[in-house]
Amino acid sequence: MDKLLTINNLTGGYQRSRPVLHDVSFSVNTHEIVGLIGLNGAGKSTTIKHILGLMEPHSGEVRLEGKTWVEAKDQYRQELAYIPEMPLLYEEMTLWEHLELTAMAYGLDEETFEMRAKGLLKEFRMEKMVKWFPSHFSKGMRQKVMIMCAFLIQPSLYVADEPFVGLDPIGIKSFLDRMVELKREGCGILMSTHILATAEKYCDRFVLLHEGKILLQGTLKDLQEQANMPRADLDEIYVEMTKEDDHD
Amino acid sequence: MISEKQLWSRRRIDYWTMATKYLKLIGNSGFLFTIYLLFVFGSYYYGQFLQWLPETFPAVLFFTLVFMWLMTRGRVRTFVKQGDLFFLTPREEKMSSYFRSALHYSWLMETFYFALVFLLLAPLFFDRIHPSGSLLLSILLLLSGLKLWNLASGFQEQRVQEKGKYHVHTFIRLGINGVTVYALFSLQPMWFVVLLAGILAVFYYGYFYQLSKTHSVKWERLVEIEDQTVMTFYRIANSFTDVPQLKSKVRFRRWLSPLFKLVSFKKQHVYHYLFSRAFVRSNDYFGIYARLTLLGLLFISVVQLDWGRWLVIGLFAYMTAQQIETLKHHYATNKMVELYPLSAQSKFQSHQFWLLVLGAIQAVIFGTGALIFYNLMDMVIALFIVSLVYFYHGFIRLAKVYRPA
Repeated sequence: MDKLLTINNLTGGYQRSRPVLHDVSFSVNTHEIVGLIGLNGAGKSTTIKHILGLMEPHSGEVRLEGKTWVEAKDQYRQELAYIPEMPLLYEEMTLWEHLELTAMAYGLDEETFEMRAKGLLKEFRMEKMVKWFPSHFSKGMRQKVMIMCAFLIQPSLYVADEPFVGLDPIGIKSFLDRMVELKREGCGILMSTHILATAEKYCDRFVLLHEGKILLQGTLKDLQEQANMPRADLDEIYVEMTKEDDHD
Repeated sequence: MISEKQLWSRRRIDYWTMATKYLKLIGNSGFLFTIYLLFVFGSYYYGQFLQWLPETFPAVLFFTLVFMWLMTRGRVRTFVKQGDLFFLTPREEKMSSYFRSALHYSWLMETFYFALVFLLLAPLFFDRIHPSGSLLLSILLLLSGLKLWNLASGFQEQRVQEKGKYHVHTFIRLGINGVTVYALFSLQPMWFVVLLAGILAVFYYGYFYQLSKTHSVKWERLVEIEDQTVMTFYRIANSFTDVPQLKSKVRFRRWLSPLFKLVSFKKQHVYHYLFSRAFVRSNDYFGIYARLTLLGLLFISVVQLDWGRWLVIGLFAYMTAQQIETLKHHYATNKMVELYPLSAQSKFQSHQFWLLVLGAIQAVIFGTGALIFYNLMDMVIALFIVSLVYFYHGFIRLAKVYRPA
């Protein structure tokens, strides 16, 4: 397993005077799904924005395949796909056009694009909607468009922010099955979620973020040891750890 | 805790702060200049139009119809918000000062609007009805009084729950307005007008005012009226600038799809792709482009003066180019665009590409117009002017806009 994404002592946020993240360090390797968990406002989205290169670190660095975003802008983004929490669609483009545009932006050739796109449409049961505009989509369908666009480009790292919200059970299953398959093929996946039962089942490691700091990280076993809660599940550890902090 | 009256002025100020921002944007876009241009040419052709208008033209009937409608339309603007259905309804009995302020405000605004129309029609009035300015002013004042009566009655009639009955009330007002406005424009004697005013006052107190004693204010209807007013404003503002509150309707415009063929499947064309869809389908880029082009064509056909026509061609090309320039910000709020592995340079090139393509199309349209209405030489000049404007815009202005600050 090689290191794909490394975050070293990252401190960051919108304002230098009020950093949201404090000295955050973790990594995502190939063949690995890492769960980023934390309460609302813990700093998950800010962490993700730093990884995407949408925000600049105050100190510390984020490296993807050894390069920071500043060192190799286009190459950095070429290797990364993002599934946002709120689907970001172009209201004036059809589903098919979303896929086509994504393929163009990431430099796919036309043949590969059509082959992959058709497979994805079938898997996510969206074949009938290729000519639809986003205004006719439900929340779940919008989320599926984002997921399909991400899977289309087959990068080495996937960053998914609450990817299950609004998806129907079959959609969730397709998504998770794909994730497992991609992991086997050597991709790294960073997934932020509140659905801990699913995270526990699918993630290899966890990063528990609280008030901008990492409380715990490692496998479930590591977490149990660090929290001194043998055999506890992720839910219990999570509640306990964030509660403890309230008393401080 | 603030009083109802303070609440009203705060809302009025809030609205006008918002509106002023948009009005400034409208002022800055080239449209104000177009209106000025229209005014200059319009006042010249107005005189000719009046001479051409046959003697038999029923001016009194025309004025009656226009002002009958202007008097009946428009309701008291209350600045009521959705949340008031919950928070203000318990205080309905104490809201009279709020609604009174709303009535006064609406009276002022509505008077301004119809006075504007009256001013526009003033030459027709002097030419066909009566040449006296003081008479026009008295009619204007009397109409303003009639407007107040309509607004006050209209406010009471909104209390009527049933939609059908509510419309019947409006219809009755339309009839009353018809009679009154006709009396004014057919220059009935003073005593008749005073009599009418008396009847109207009695009717208001005897009937409309009584409605307020038995019927409650229909808040949902007030919210609906308010929303419509704001939307109308947004829609007007939206034809000059981008209004985020206006959920922009996407139009497919399938017949324009051939334009998309200019975009091929390759990485350098990502922004070509984005801009083409934005231009054709979203907001009203295409709408503005088409309107400006048609308006330009209209001016080309009417303005006989050579240099005046060339000036108009240049101006319309420039205004259109300025509208196309705003495409730059269309995807500013979509984070996905930022994530694509693309250089900023490619966005500029794509924008420039579309600017020049659309410029070429406009050049052909203006050129053809010049050929049809004038001659070959004029077509060459039109093509030259439009090309010059777009090359300037594409290579100098747009480059400046894209240069990082």
